[in-house]
Amino acid sequence: MTGNDLAFFYLALMMILSSLFTVVSRNPVHAILSLLVLVLHQAFMLYLLGSEFLTAVQIIVYAGAVVVLFLFVVYLINLSAEQRFRVFVKKTSLFMIFFLLFVFFFFKNFGLILALNPQLQSLLPIDSSANHLKMLARYLFMEYLFQFELIGIILLVVVLGSVFLLRKLKEEKSG
Amino acid sequence: MVSLLFYLYLSIILFLIGLFGFVFRRNLIILLASVEIMMNALIIFFASISHFRHDATGYIIVFFIIAMAAAEAAVGLSLVVGLYKRLKNIYTEELNLFRG
Repeated sequence: MTGNDLAFFYLALMMILSSLFTVVSRNPVHAILSLLVLVLHQAFMLYLLGSEFLTAVQIIVYAGAVVVLFLFVVYLINLSAEQRFRVFVKKTSLFMIFFLLFVFFFFKNFGLILALNPQLQSLLPIDSSANHLKMLARYLFMEYLFQFELIGIILLVVVLGSVFLLRKLKEEKSG
Repeated sequence: MVSLLFYLYLSIILFLIGLFGFVFRRNLIILLASVEIMMNALIIFFASISHFRHDATGYIIVFFIIAMAAAEAAVGLSLVVGLYKRLKNIYTEELNLFRG
């Protein structure tokens, strides 16, 4: 067992435990902080998977922006008085049907992933001797340029939309 | 020793934990956090396939997934704050505005 394997098992164990704690935790602040633990461990798992650029992006965007946004909203919405009520939904039978259906189809189709043809020609081959960041940038700006620009438009729409959703409805209050 | 299957099983376990939280939790903020857990499972899925098949497509898709996750969190949380401003409540069972 090499060091990479030990790192994988430690990261996998911590990711599963922290995501479970996120789901079952009663206090929203604890849940979001354990989501932060999950995101940081995932960043180092991306490093283990050979992409140091995505490690940096994961830490900056997820841990720096998304989780902090969640924490801001949890602090903004002060629900500490209602923590003593129950955590899960009451009518579980209907939800359980949907959940089990999802799980069933998930495992039914898992064989499709395992049956991937290993002889399939790779679309964008990785040259392991070249610079990883340079390779990613070349593929991103040559093969996927249109999608990259589309992401820019989507982020612009998100900025405008989240401001538009939280605007003050003056005519509704007066009328 | 650690092969592609280990990563795939890890991503399935994380996805099912996130799905469990999305279906069974009451708090809307934790629902959005469960969506983030599911997106993290997808990131592991694509990055591991890309690593073991020496194909950079998965890394590019991971890049797009991270951008979409940031967008989704911003819109979802602004919806939650708007809902809280109008109704003073973010629990899924009590949001029955359309009940006859």
